[in-house]
Amino acid sequence: MSTTTIPAHSAASGGTGLTFLGVLRSEWIKFRSLRSTQLLLLFTFVAVVGVGTIAAFLRGTIIDQLMKFGAERPSPGAAAGHKLTLDQAISAANAQGINIYGIPIAGLQLGILVLGALAVLLIASEFGTGMIRSTMTAVPKRLPTFFAKAIVLVVVSYVLTLVAAFVTFLVSIPILHGYGIDMSLGRDGVVYSIFMGGVYVAGVALAGLSLGTLIRSSAGGIIVLVALFFLLEIATSLLGLVPGDFWKYVGQYIPSVAGGRMLEIGDKAAFISPLSGGLIFLGWIVLVTVPAIISLKTRDV
Amino acid sequence: MIEAVNLAKHYGAKTAVAGVTFTVKPGMVTGFLGPNGAGKSTTMRMIVGLDKPSAGSVTVNGKPYAKHHDPLRQVGALLDAKAVHTSRSAYNHLLAMAATHNIPRSRVHEVIDMTGLAAVAKKKAGGFSLGMGQRLGIASALLGDPQTLILDEPVNGLDPEGVLWVRNLARHLAGQGKTVFLSSHLMSEMALTADHLIVIGRGRIIADAPIAEILAGSQQAKVRVRTPEAVRLGRLLSGPGVQVQSSENETLEVTGVDSRQIARLALDNGVLVYELTPLTTSLEDAYFDLTKDSVEYHSQEFDDGAEPAAALKGR
Repeated sequence: MSTTTIPAHSAASGGTGLTFLGVLRSEWIKFRSLRSTQLLLLFTFVAVVGVGTIAAFLRGTIIDQLMKFGAERPSPGAAAGHKLTLDQAISAANAQGINIYGIPIAGLQLGILVLGALAVLLIASEFGTGMIRSTMTAVPKRLPTFFAKAIVLVVVSYVLTLVAAFVTFLVSIPILHGYGIDMSLGRDGVVYSIFMGGVYVAGVALAGLSLGTLIRSSAGGIIVLVALFFLLEIATSLLGLVPGDFWKYVGQYIPSVAGGRMLEIGDKAAFISPLSGGLIFLGWIVLVTVPAIISLKTRDV
Repeated sequence: MIEAVNLAKHYGAKTAVAGVTFTVKPGMVTGFLGPNGAGKSTTMRMIVGLDKPSAGSVTVNGKPYAKHHDPLRQVGALLDAKAVHTSRSAYNHLLAMAATHNIPRSRVHEVIDMTGLAAVAKKKAGGFSLGMGQRLGIASALLGDPQTLILDEPVNGLDPEGVLWVRNLARHLAGQGKTVFLSSHLMSEMALTADHLIVIGRGRIIADAPIAEILAGSQQAKVRVRTPEAVRLGRLLSGPGVQVQSSENETLEVTGVDSRQIARLALDNGVLVYELTPLTTSLEDAYFDLTKDSVEYHSQEFDDGAEPAAALKGR
């Protein structure tokens, strides 16, 4: 800041004015320029693939055990205690929620925890540091910033989950081959789970962004997110102990269970279908996103 | 050009800005002066839409700030040196800000060089000193080469060289026909930088005039008179519109008559005068005079004893 330099009028200083594409590019620059974000993404990838790999070993072992020692509970076409064929063992395991097709997204719970937290941080840290005032001075209509952040988050979490799921799939092929199980994209549900896992994670990320916008605090936003997607499931499972069928159904409508249903095409007995699970999940996302948008538009920053 | 009409901001029962009307004109530096908590920052935040006015309206270059299609080219604002993500480098911060308006990378380098940040541009902004943070805030405000510059306490934390730089920058931009609006609680800084002053106290405009007029009109000129016959001269001087104070022996401070009239009166009555000094008002005196009046006036209206009143009364 020398006393002699005075800003020159430069032709280059122009700029074409505020555009949504510009805001999107701005949010992308912000997203990629934080070391913590890069580390969290790397951690998410490693965690999803890591948990998926462990799941491949575990599920392979279980099916192997079922073939050797038979199912405790009779499965179609086999009596209890008898040795099972591979296909019988797979369907027996499936009946207990231990599926093969879901291995690529077995690590998803970690993915949503980390990416959901990252989504909360994406905006709550702007409130925490004061950056939000710079952001909203540049984009005084405010909402383009929210939508740009949402697009960055949805694309990043979907692509990251998709790639992680596909890598997990590739890793699981030789592991499952060791148990005599043939893992391929042709197997029922594999392609579906690889492509749908990211939808779930992206949805949770959107919820995280909305909670961060509403609560404006990183810690508070993450706590509510964890409560919504993890603790609520525990709480409602306790509701199942209450006499009456009604309470058993309530638990199926909470975001994590409904979202989980969306990912399952298997024959696991459930009250709601994968499609309605997806719609209920979407409803939850809208339920937090709409107040977030209203809050961002109307409250002082 | 900034035009505020009956602009007000209430936080619950507390009034931060109580319906102010003013115009900040292009081609000059307008100072926004007031004690801490007077409503300077809140007013500036309402100009760029960070705070919604409780009543009234404010426009920049003819339109509400948010209605412009190129806000950063209309207004460059430094409202808070801490409006930066602490873990992001200064360069990336400016790059992200510039991207919203498709401002080229070359302009980012330009403002970095201009504000002397080149050496630290790749470092995390969280580690910056107050002065460096201030420079980054100014760099950010200059990105869009804006028509109107709003700087809230721009010299806070700057070294003397930086203070001089900001002063020259403000004068230079005003010289180019731009609107420059800067706030300060430092009267001396305003005296050097501003052409026009808007003085605010407890959320109300106390004065809105060219700086020379504020200096001249805020207080009546005072004359110091030293004489062995202080009591007698004082009695002779007293009359309508004339105030005589005596702070020490043989010394009078007289307002309402000029030194020529005093000398005449003394000569006519045979009073010896050995000092006759016209006292000029400094901006600082003018400022205290103005804000003191407003505080005394308002303290009857609000009894909550908000901080600006308490601070000023303590002086």
